[in-house]
Amino acid sequence: MNHSSILAAPEALHPSLWRASQLAHADTRCIDTGHATLSGQLPGGGWPGGTLVDLLLQQPGIGEMRLLRPALAACASRRIVLLQPPHPPQALALAALGLDPAQLLWLRSTRSADALWAAEQVLRSGSCGALLFWANHVRSDSLRRLHLAAQGGDTLFFMLRPLAAAQDASPAPLRLALRPAAGGMTVDFIKRRGPQRDAPLFLPLGSSLLQRHAPLDRPVFAPATARSLQPALVQ
Amino acid sequence: MPQLPLEVFSPRWCSSSGAAGGADSAGGAAAAGAAAGDPGIVVLEQERVMALSPAARAEGVLPGMRRGGVLMLMPEARIVNRSHEREAEALQSVAMAMLQYTPQVALAEEATLLLDIGASLRLFGGIRRLCAQVRANLRTLGFTGCVACAPTARGAWLLARRNAGRAVKMDSLVRRLNRLPVSLLPPARPFAAWFDGLGCRRLDELQRLPRPGLQRRCGRALLDMLDAAYGHSPELWRWIEPPERFQARLELFDRLEHADLLLAGAHYLVLQMTGWLCARQLAVERILLQLEHERGRVACPPTALEVALAEPTWRDEHLMRLLRERLGKLELVAPVIGIRLEAQQLQAMAPPTDSLFPDPGGSEEDRMRMIELLVARLGADNVLQALPHADYRPEVANAWVPVHERVSASARAAQMPPDVHSLPRPSWLLAKPLALLMRNHRPFYGSPLRVASNPERIEAGWWSQTQTRDYFIAEGKDHALYWIYRERINGSGDDAAPRWFLHGLFG
Repeated sequence: MNHSSILAAPEALHPSLWRASQLAHADTRCIDTGHATLSGQLPGGGWPGGTLVDLLLQQPGIGEMRLLRPALAACASRRIVLLQPPHPPQALALAALGLDPAQLLWLRSTRSADALWAAEQVLRSGSCGALLFWANHVRSDSLRRLHLAAQGGDTLFFMLRPLAAAQDASPAPLRLALRPAAGGMTVDFIKRRGPQRDAPLFLPLGSSLLQRHAPLDRPVFAPATARSLQPALVQ
Repeated sequence: MPQLPLEVFSPRWCSSSGAAGGADSAGGAAAAGAAAGDPGIVVLEQERVMALSPAARAEGVLPGMRRGGVLMLMPEARIVNRSHEREAEALQSVAMAMLQYTPQVALAEEATLLLDIGASLRLFGGIRRLCAQVRANLRTLGFTGCVACAPTARGAWLLARRNAGRAVKMDSLVRRLNRLPVSLLPPARPFAAWFDGLGCRRLDELQRLPRPGLQRRCGRALLDMLDAAYGHSPELWRWIEPPERFQARLELFDRLEHADLLLAGAHYLVLQMTGWLCARQLAVERILLQLEHERGRVACPPTALEVALAEPTWRDEHLMRLLRERLGKLELVAPVIGIRLEAQQLQAMAPPTDSLFPDPGGSEEDRMRMIELLVARLGADNVLQALPHADYRPEVANAWVPVHERVSASARAAQMPPDVHSLPRPSWLLAKPLALLMRNHRPFYGSPLRVASNPERIEAGWWSQTQTRDYFIAEGKDHALYWIYRERINGSGDDAAPRWFLHGLFG
């Protein structure tokens, strides 16, 4: 390779090089997110396995499981561990999302030290397909430790934390902030190996949830009339 | 084992030491040890000091002193009388632990164990690694050992008594043996002065003496031992027999209140159990660890710690990890003075079947091991698997049971609704429905909720807890979806207003 071509395309020198305007190459195996618009915005075109992925939620129950559904279904041949979720998970709903109830493992813990320990054990054993870890306050050295443990295997590892944690530093190479939106959710890219993106990305989710019963855009449910109609409807 | 008298009173894991031996090929090893006890332990035999810890040595105590002299030099010394029973017990425990390397273990003179490892070399990855493992095990058991290997058991015994290393080939063994002093052979010791007068100090010089004369003066035993060491005559050893049932007890030297020291004591017992399991070709499914508390006025029953395993095992690493978590959680009601380990449920050992290409996620045993470890620390009630019930009521349908309950796949499938994809169920079901405020005749949760679906009527449970509810999917101002319901049976009068509850979140 001569000098000019190196200058023209320095990213071709090594897989871990990329330009600030480009998305990085993935250095681990990535699992398709199932949402084409989101996959196009992620380095490697999917959720990276064996890496800490930070998802920052405005509140629990905004469609985070529907967002992760295709990826979790892809690794459902192995166990999926739910570590201290905010509310009891409902096996039927997760089954409807395509996750076999036999492969679900729900871990509860009373102390956060136990939860961190359990997360590390699950990651180190490497025998689980995915680990979803809900935590409110995690120190950054614990995060780094979990990130290191995750790198030892190819477990899909998501930490679901409140939106306020976006201010804190995190060793996760991918951090997304999730907010609910009409008919889906918006994704803010707080950190990724690629160009800064300020505009939130809208992902349509959950249309199947509502369409079966009543389309959202039926005139009777239009916002202007809903307020006046609703009491009559429910009485 | 010159220092065995010492280490039975203060095993190394409480920062003291001892001795034990291991050996090779056709056997042979011995041991020596030095102790490092904080209190300065001095062992007396016939009122003379015969073993002492370095702390005592540093104070100027010497072997052969009398009790008074020791107390003058070191008033705080812990003076104990030599206990032959405890030494024999310790040697027996070490022998039991060594059974994991070979079924042929024999007790020899002077606190030495002989292991025939001729058939075990390949399994344990060669002679160096085997010796390293034996040494590590001895350390864990709390003893210091001198490990020697030789093609003959008596040769290994002699090398180990002098800590003279390994000899793998016969000619190197002969070279090493030739340099050893005559007094190493027990039958030659009564004649030490005579040999000295002859100028016969090493074994090669002893071999050059005329045999008939030697036999007349010193007896047959000396020649037999010499021939056995040099491989001129066959050797016979009585291998120890593992007992029918395993039960081991460790009397602690002190009262223990710390879980980590207890763990070292438990490891001592678990190592014995692994040796026994290997010798009997068994795997253990359930073990019972009993922590004995002080007897007498404040007597209380022993604390029992039962560890059940999903996958039978015969190695100590996994058992120790489980015990570490269990002991770490345990709150001791009283100091512990003894530990007892019992193997309660046994199965035939199933050797691992190695597949050519290992599974990416590890084997099923790995998975079970991870779950057991989680159960050991978090508790069985906190490691749950889903077992949905065929019931219309959402709370009842969403049942989770401890993971060690065995649930067959068909039983689980039978409980699942046939059209699970058409059921609008939220991923998160609130443990207890949350009564919603009413504002403007509309349920309010953070923001006014707008009903976004047709109702789903659930009316069931007349046999236990009746539920008559209309469930809706509602949408808040921020477009998050909620699963709410309205009680269909209202009171009268003031209670007649519809009551709305939040029951789930659509994750």
